Amino acid sequence: MTAKQKYSYTFVIILLLITILFAMLLGTQFWSLSRLLAAFSNNQGNDFNTLFTIRLPRIIASLLCGGMLAMAGAFSQAVFRNRLADPSILGLTSGGDLLIMFGSLMFTLNPFAKWALAFLGGVIALHVLVNKTVLKSPYRLIIVGIALNLTFVGIQQLFTANSISSTGSFNAITWNQTLMLLVFGVIGLFAAIFITPWANYLKMSDEKLATIGVSASTMRRGILFLVLYLASNVTSIVGTIPFLGIIVPNLARYFVGHDYQTIVPFSMLLGAWTLLIADTFSRVVVVPSEIPVANVMTVIGGIFLVLMLERKDFYGVRQS
Amino acid sequence: MELDKVSFRYSKNKPLIESISGIVPTGKILCLIGPNGAGKSTILQLMAGELRPISGKVTIDGQQVFEMDIKKRAQKIAVVAQRNRLYDEMTVEDIVKTGRSPYHGTLATISNGEIKPIIQETHLDKLVDKSINTLSGGQQQRVWLAAAIAQDPDYLLLDEPTTYLDIHYQAELMNLIKKLQKEHNLTVVMVLHDINQALKISDEIWCIKNGQKVYDKAPMDLTNENILADLFNSKIKVVNIPQYGPYVIQIPE
Repeated sequence: MTAKQKYSYTFVIILLLITILFAMLLGTQFWSLSRLLAAFSNNQGNDFNTLFTIRLPRIIASLLCGGMLAMAGAFSQAVFRNRLADPSILGLTSGGDLLIMFGSLMFTLNPFAKWALAFLGGVIALHVLVNKTVLKSPYRLIIVGIALNLTFVGIQQLFTANSISSTGSFNAITWNQTLMLLVFGVIGLFAAIFITPWANYLKMSDEKLATIGVSASTMRRGILFLVLYLASNVTSIVGTIPFLGIIVPNLARYFVGHDYQTIVPFSMLLGAWTLLIADTFSRVVVVPSEIPVANVMTVIGGIFLVLMLERKDFYGVRQS
Repeated sequence: MELDKVSFRYSKNKPLIESISGIVPTGKILCLIGPNGAGKSTILQLMAGELRPISGKVTIDGQQVFEMDIKKRAQKIAVVAQRNRLYDEMTVEDIVKTGRSPYHGTLATISNGEIKPIIQETHLDKLVDKSINTLSGGQQQRVWLAAAIAQDPDYLLLDEPTTYLDIHYQAELMNLIKKLQKEHNLTVVMVLHDINQALKISDEIWCIKNGQKVYDKAPMDLTNENILADLFNSKIKVVNIPQYGPYVIQIPE
């Protein structure tokens, strides 16, 4: 590990810890540090309740979702060989959103059913998206993805015309959901670390990989499965969070270089931090009400993405 | 490696390769030359098992190359393409390490020690941590060559490895290929468009025209003006340069 990588990891971990602390202090009521400590020690009090039933599950859930989304983004970029790819821009998450909405019109969905529908929606979107013509041109992939995404969102809005959909926020998340997310997230993390070498192989052309005895299509399928798995966990809890999956891995490259073995873990940490900041902001900015975290990410992420793309040294796809 | 009446065409198109037979001389350098579009690169792809012949067979020790398990094949045959597309940044070290993947699982981490001798042999010591995009064309080809040697193959197939290089790097790369061929006891098959390079480096030359093998000769027997004129469809003169040997030039009509 180079010195820059060490500093970057240290920096992001410290940032993460400080932000977690602040996220515990902030809410409809702003706490002092001593009140937080008191809340931890007195397990009968109101503050204890607020901390453990409202704030903590929400903090943990947003950390997990942010980490998973960022990893899903990094892997999407590897598998599509395109640094603008991410599950939200390609319509994979809004496909999941749509199925969850249809499902909940007919049944009461438990968390697991929601996850399964989110995954299935992603699979359907992927089948529409992935064909030879689309994959040949990197920009066509992104445009088709965006069109697909808008179509899914449009269909969803036909059915939920006046009500803002229940997704898009961590509000009222339960421990059950958080624990499921934790278990699925840890599985996802291990799978991600295990499968990361494949992301590096996909930097080479399929033809070259064949000559070194490696099957690109096996790797692609494995990574796509992981992308859908990670993204559907997030979708089933908060719906589509835009831009995070594009921005975080690209920032990670700036800090730790272009090796997926370092991009993926760093993206996980940075993604966790990003979503926690966005969610904390979304719940304290208009206290006692709140705005959906997806909206916060759209605004911050949109601006950031434009700035990133306007940089001269940014390239979406390497041509040579 | 043996080619037995190998033919190839992409579906419904006219044949690219028509009934080519021949034995690739083991432990030697074989060059494929001929006019553009003659099918030289296609023959190389057939030898590499990247394409399946529509009839005939390419075999190594009686086993069809196309039907070999891809990992086993990669342990026997290494390929250096004319141009190697990369979709992302990779360091020299990363690329050379991928050459070891036929001997490991794809999820394994390959140690630096495993590629160290190859890095030294190909004089890449000072470049290992550099991104390949920052290197010159000649250095880049050396990296791909090193990755191919890391496969520890019996056969090394190269498709016009010097095309994008200036004259200095061309000579350097050719010398390196010759050195590696001797030290690793490789059978080299190389597509070259420069006939003079082919005459200088090869032990045997196959002349390819319209998808057929029209001659297979030792380089010395190929310095015949009539044969070459027929092959390239132009007026050819062979001159003898002292301390160099025969040199082929094309004369304007």
